[in-house]
Amino acid sequence: MLYKISVPQVADVEEIRVLEWHREAGEAVEKGDLLVELETHKAIVEVRAGQKGFLRKILAESGNWQAIGLPLAVLSESESDPVPEDAQALTDLPVDFEIT
Amino acid sequence: MSSKPAAAVQKMFFREAIARAMREEMRDNPNILILGQDVGRFGGSYREFDGLFEEFGADRVRDMPVAEAAMVGVGVGAAAAGLRPLVSITYMDFMMLGFDPLINYGAKLRYKTGGQLTAPVVVKTTAGAKGQGVAHSQCIEAWLMSVPGLRVVVPATPADAYGLLKTALRSDGPVVYVDHKRLFPVAGEVPIEEVAVPFGSARICRPGTDLTITSHSFMVRTALEAAKLLEKDGLSAEVIDLRSLAPLDMKTIVDSVGRTGRLLTLEEGQITTGVGAEVVTRVIEHLGPIRFARVGALPAPISSNRVLEAACLPDAGRVAAAARLLQSPKKLVSSC
Repeated sequence: MLYKISVPQVADVEEIRVLEWHREAGEAVEKGDLLVELETHKAIVEVRAGQKGFLRKILAESGNWQAIGLPLAVLSESESDPVPEDAQALTDLPVDFEIT
Repeated sequence: MSSKPAAAVQKMFFREAIARAMREEMRDNPNILILGQDVGRFGGSYREFDGLFEEFGADRVRDMPVAEAAMVGVGVGAAAAGLRPLVSITYMDFMMLGFDPLINYGAKLRYKTGGQLTAPVVVKTTAGAKGQGVAHSQCIEAWLMSVPGLRVVVPATPADAYGLLKTALRSDGPVVYVDHKRLFPVAGEVPIEEVAVPFGSARICRPGTDLTITSHSFMVRTALEAAKLLEKDGLSAEVIDLRSLAPLDMKTIVDSVGRTGRLLTLEEGQITTGVGAEVVTRVIEHLGPIRFARVGALPAPISSNRVLEAACLPDAGRVAAAARLLQSPKKLVSSC
C-alpha cells in the first residue's frame, strides 16, 4: 500500500520551508524515525514516520517550499510497489510531528 | 522588443525579510540600533530580529523595559543626538503611549529648530486583530497620517517589508513602520539585489477595469480574495497596495480611478477619519465626483472571542458585496 506524507496541519501556518531530509529515497524507515525538518514562520517542525515502511520518493527538496496539506513524500509498505506520477491521490499517512 | 531577464528572487518569511533589511543596514551604518522588548537574545516578538543580537551585540540590540513612552522618548532623543534607533513596539495599541515624544519631539523637531536638528528614528510596530482582544488588536495608522513631519509606511509583502524598512532606516526624519500580526505567516519572493523601496509609491497588484480597490497591510490579501470572487460575477477589480500612507501615491490612485471610474477603499481600521476617507477626498479633489465606498472594521473594540472578532472585521465576502453595490446606480452609504 502506498501513502503520501503531507505537510502537517500546524496551527496558524500557511506554508513551510523544507529544511533537511534525514532519510533518503529508497531507505527503510521505522515508526517514529525522523524523516524531515520543516521550518514555519515561528518554529521548526520535526516530521516522524507514523508507521514502518520504505521512503520511496521525495516531492519537496531541501530549501523548497510547500503549502500546508500538500505532499512531501511517498511512503510504501513494500519496497517495490510502483510509485504513481500523481501523489495527491494517495492516502495520507498520519505523521507524528513535534514543534521545537 | 527586448525582454528583460526575470529578476533574481529568494522566497522567505515576512520576518526574515525584516531581519535581512536590519542586518544589511546595521552592517552599513554603525549608528543603527534596536530598542524594544524581547529584541535581544529572544530575537524579536515575532522572531523578526533573529540573529541580530548575536551579530551586533547588546550595545546595538537593546532589550528595554515595558515602558513605551520612555522607550520612544529615548529613541527620539538618541536620534536627535546623531544615532539612528529603531524602536520596536510589539503591539500598535501601545504605541499610543509614545505619541507625545514621537509627535511633539520627534516630528516637530525639524520645524522647532529651523532645520538644525532632525530625529531620524524608526518606530516599528505591529498592528491587527488576531485573537488577542481589545488591547492588542488595533490598526491606528490613520491617526498618524496627518502629523506634519511624520512618515507612515505599511508593507503588505515580504518584498516590501524588506525594501521599505531599508528606506526607513535611511530617512532624515521620524518614520512609523507598521506591519501586521497576520502577515508573519506569509512567505513571498524578495529580490536578491539589495534595493530599497521608496516611500510614496503604491503598487498595482492586480490590474482591472471596472473598479479600483485601494488597501494596505493585511487587507491587501482580503482585497485580492474579493477580486477573485468578483471575477466570477464578471467584474474586474484593480487592486492597489498603498504601501505608503504618508506620503500617499496619489498619481497611481488617481490614474487608476480615472480609468475604472469607481473607488472602494478597504482598511482594517475604522473608516471614520480613516485611510479611506483621505484617499476618497483626494481622489475627488483630482477627478471630481466619483462613485465610492469605504469598507473598514465595525465601530467597536475587537473582542478576543473568535466569532465576535470575525464579525467586526472586513472579509472578502463583505468587500465583494460592497463592490457589487458600487456598480448599481442606487445611492450608497459607506459600509463596514
